[in-house]
Amino acid sequence: MTKKFSLTPYLFLTPALVAIAIFVVYPIFAVFYYSFTDYSIVTPPVWIGLKNYSWLIHDTIFWRSLAHSFVYLLVTPILIVLSIILAIVVNRKLPGIQAFRALFFIPVISGSIAVGIAWRLMLDTNGIINAILLSLGILKEPMQWLAEPALTLPFCMALTIWLGVGYYMMIFLAGLQNIPEELYDAAMLDGCNSWQKHWHVSIPGLRPQITFVAVISSLAALQVFNEVFTLTGSLGGILQSGYTVVFYLWQQAFRLSHAGKASAIAMALLVITLAFSITNIRLLERGTETD
Amino acid sequence: MRTKLFTLFLLVSVLISGCVTATTQAPIATAIPPTPQTIVVTSVPQTIVETVISEVLVTPTPLPNPEAVIQSVEPDAVIGFWTFWLSPTFDQYIKDTIARFNEAYPGVTVNWEDHQATFQDDLKASFAAGNAPDVINLSVSEGWVSDYASQGLLMPLDDKVPQSVKDLYFPGLWNEQLINGVNFQFPWYQGINVYLINHQVYDQTGLTIDDFPKNWTDLPALCATIKEKTGTLCDIRLTVNDLISQMVYEGNVKPISEDGTSFTFDSADAVAWLQQYVDMVKAGTVDKTVLVTDQDRVGLDLFTTGKAAFYATGPNLIREVRKNNPGLYGYLGVVPAPVGKSGVIGKGLMGISVNAQTKFPNASLALAQFFTNPKSMLEFSKIVAIYPSTPDSYADPFFSAAPVAIEDSAKPFAEDAVSKYADIVPTIPHKADVNAILLRHVQDALFNNVPAQQALTDAVTEANQLLP
Amino acid sequence: MMNQTIVKDDHSRVVLQKTTQNFFLYIILSCVAIVTVFPFLWVFFTSFKGPTDAVYSVPPQLIPHDPTFENYLRVWELLPVGRFFTNSIFVTLSVVVLNTLFTSLAAYPLAKMKFRGSNTIFYLLLVTYIIPPALTAIPSYILAVRVFHYYDHIQAAILPYLATVFNIFLLRQAYKGVPDDLIDAGRVDGASELRIWWDIVVPIIRPSLATVAIITFVEQWNNFFWPSLVLPTMTNKTLQVGLVALQGAFLNDSRGIAAGVVMTVVPMIIFFLLLQKQFIRGLTGAVKG
Repeated sequence: MTKKFSLTPYLFLTPALVAIAIFVVYPIFAVFYYSFTDYSIVTPPVWIGLKNYSWLIHDTIFWRSLAHSFVYLLVTPILIVLSIILAIVVNRKLPGIQAFRALFFIPVISGSIAVGIAWRLMLDTNGIINAILLSLGILKEPMQWLAEPALTLPFCMALTIWLGVGYYMMIFLAGLQNIPEELYDAAMLDGCNSWQKHWHVSIPGLRPQITFVAVISSLAALQVFNEVFTLTGSLGGILQSGYTVVFYLWQQAFRLSHAGKASAIAMALLVITLAFSITNIRLLERGTETD
Repeated sequence: MRTKLFTLFLLVSVLISGCVTATTQAPIATAIPPTPQTIVVTSVPQTIVETVISEVLVTPTPLPNPEAVIQSVEPDAVIGFWTFWLSPTFDQYIKDTIARFNEAYPGVTVNWEDHQATFQDDLKASFAAGNAPDVINLSVSEGWVSDYASQGLLMPLDDKVPQSVKDLYFPGLWNEQLINGVNFQFPWYQGINVYLINHQVYDQTGLTIDDFPKNWTDLPALCATIKEKTGTLCDIRLTVNDLISQMVYEGNVKPISEDGTSFTFDSADAVAWLQQYVDMVKAGTVDKTVLVTDQDRVGLDLFTTGKAAFYATGPNLIREVRKNNPGLYGYLGVVPAPVGKSGVIGKGLMGISVNAQTKFPNASLALAQFFTNPKSMLEFSKIVAIYPSTPDSYADPFFSAAPVAIEDSAKPFAEDAVSKYADIVPTIPHKADVNAILLRHVQDALFNNVPAQQALTDAVTEANQLLP
Repeated sequence: MMNQTIVKDDHSRVVLQKTTQNFFLYIILSCVAIVTVFPFLWVFFTSFKGPTDAVYSVPPQLIPHDPTFENYLRVWELLPVGRFFTNSIFVTLSVVVLNTLFTSLAAYPLAKMKFRGSNTIFYLLLVTYIIPPALTAIPSYILAVRVFHYYDHIQAAILPYLATVFNIFLLRQAYKGVPDDLIDAGRVDGASELRIWWDIVVPIIRPSLATVAIITFVEQWNNFFWPSLVLPTMTNKTLQVGLVALQGAFLNDSRGIAAGVVMTVVPMIIFFLLLQKQFIRGLTGAVKG
């Protein structure tokens, strides 16, 4: 049977490929080019060779932002542990359990901006958090929560965790419900109690979900922006304590009009996320193999 | 069935939202019908007055409008005008003034927009897009005029405006924020720097309103007393977007050398200035979030909640305090702002500039000048406690009337204060970057135990690398 | 007789164990729920506080003594909150519909057809997947402002998201699960590929389509970074961007901010509660066990 040449596959692909070519492929080349220029967007780019990169290497603020972004990765294990525990807890047919599940999902649906604003109001020097702690006697004086450099990143991370738990809990919940009952019964027969049962059956059974969440969450953690912006505004925290790589990129490009430097940062971001992205792809591909 | 309903709901909502979104908000344009003109024709021996347009008006405008001082305004000009944070409170005033503008300059269409918290972002993006407004209200106090002018985005005014017009303004204000000796703004409404006092808190210190420091250098001691006697923190702000300016006014610092080849904001004066703030932070007498916020309203917020003894602002913001905490209004007091070491009490607040790329230069100049002329500013002063930049406005009995409410308390000394405003900050190259560097090192000194001298010297070293 | 008693005792002991266990579970759940819901509660009550109700006070006062709607009216008058909403709905739904359509079209030949260049295209897509979104912001911005001139138009928020590689991969996996014989049967019958796709294959992968739609929906609804760069005019802003503008406009007015936040969050919560099942089912189809 001769294979007829058909336009069909190409036609199917065209809309998506055109969009990707314009909005993903072109930008990578453009950013690569801009990273070798001095460009303020209002005036045309001026070629300056490797100057942006040498600036980047010597820029303590960039390295600090990078360190912060890596520290931010801590949210991933915390999120996974908390979400799994919550999923296990809500994975039972108790009256009202649906309500609890929905409740935990509300932060996800409200959006990081709305929640971030609410948190910022609560953490004000005169806000409700201080008021509660003062009236309980835990604090003698109101603490300026968002003015403590050591607390800025932890608060952003707490916000991320708070926002993500409901989302990942749902994923693990579905995973748990896919684990066959027989495995649990077998574990019970072997003499496992409640916790051992979960350790030996649930966790291994959730492996695909865990890997999926780990990769998604890590990629997101490396590229955090919203949480920093809502909690600290354009200051980025006292002593740049809230600076992440994407925040620094945004500041350089859209506050200081240094698109060239920002492009160099963007290239660095590409390298940083590379390892995680490749893992992500491998996982997606492995999913195909098991089908 | 439920899925079908859901899909239907989705489609309907997309359609509805699409329709709603597609209709863009109509720009506010004011255009008026042509006014009949009268031409005086002189011929020997009689003077005949002829009406050119067929409409006969009972009371025609007999003379050229005295407020129309810019010549050769382009007919059928369409110009964009952006103001900063004036809507909706002053909607009526702006519209009325535009209407009066059209009486003086008929045929010019003005599209007015007000931008608020995102003003700077919006403006920068519009310059990048090539559709920036023709006439722009810019903050002189925040240094925006010099920001945009130094990028060549604003029209220089000195040779475009007749001397008679320039003379309408206080010279100190006309010569503010010069870039290499050239002026780029029409001085608009001014604030009087006052400190609002919350008597409920302040009185607990045992001091009276007359004891309030007259000099800025005495403030830290007051803050210590306030902390001790009332437990509240001082509501003081660093203008984080323009630290150099604050250094100059408060600390009498010279930021750059005469020849412009090297920065000098690590001098003894500068260190003394920074040290005061460092000491206050160490003593725990200031609210740290307010100190380094980039939004003035955060500081105002703290005061409005009744938790601060005083706040540096203008009488025009008293209405904000009143709106949000009416209970506080009765406890308010006003004192003139303490003077910094420089001896100059302040600089201007707002100006109006013209886009260098405008297609209608004369019409834009006319609008900018009209809003800042004595009559327009007098009208503005009557509805809110701001002060004109034109001496003629103060001749009006409005200013000689005795102050009634606390918002008016600056009236008696307003003219004197405004006439003394001067911009004593020299032109700083790469201002935004220098400020970013300075902000970083200042934070190191304030919060990271870096000695003030070292922080400033490091900042100077880094900033000098930006200079050729 | 003895045996029966023992069994009965065991049974009641088990029941007691279970009840205490459940009791503790409810306690834990309630604690977590309180922590989760508290910020919303506080914002909700603050939005109804009148000028005489202290927002900041020690000890804190949660319930307003003098509830009022004026904060909502104030916000509604000052900012086009309704427009923020419709803009977000329009952008989100457009992206969801178009993206799902384009990616489901694109993934099909990659999974089920043999043609020249299929491997190249696949690997190229793989490569583009590693590009982080923030990187594309600057050139996209320049495209919007300088080249295509859709800056400050609602399209600017939609166009960059018309196709995402992640969705293509996800759907390709889904297609691989469709048995080939169904498709071959259609081809033998002489149906066009588009027909086969729409009538036979798409209904089979509906759960995965739902997943893609929901993930895209949540992503777009929450998107702030890009829309904040390209939608300056107040009436064009999407909800998240408008919220930040609200915070800027009302910084000295916590009640106003609270009202604004409630106005934007409550409809979403109601929407979610109504469609809980579909949401969750779609979301969890993301990862197959």
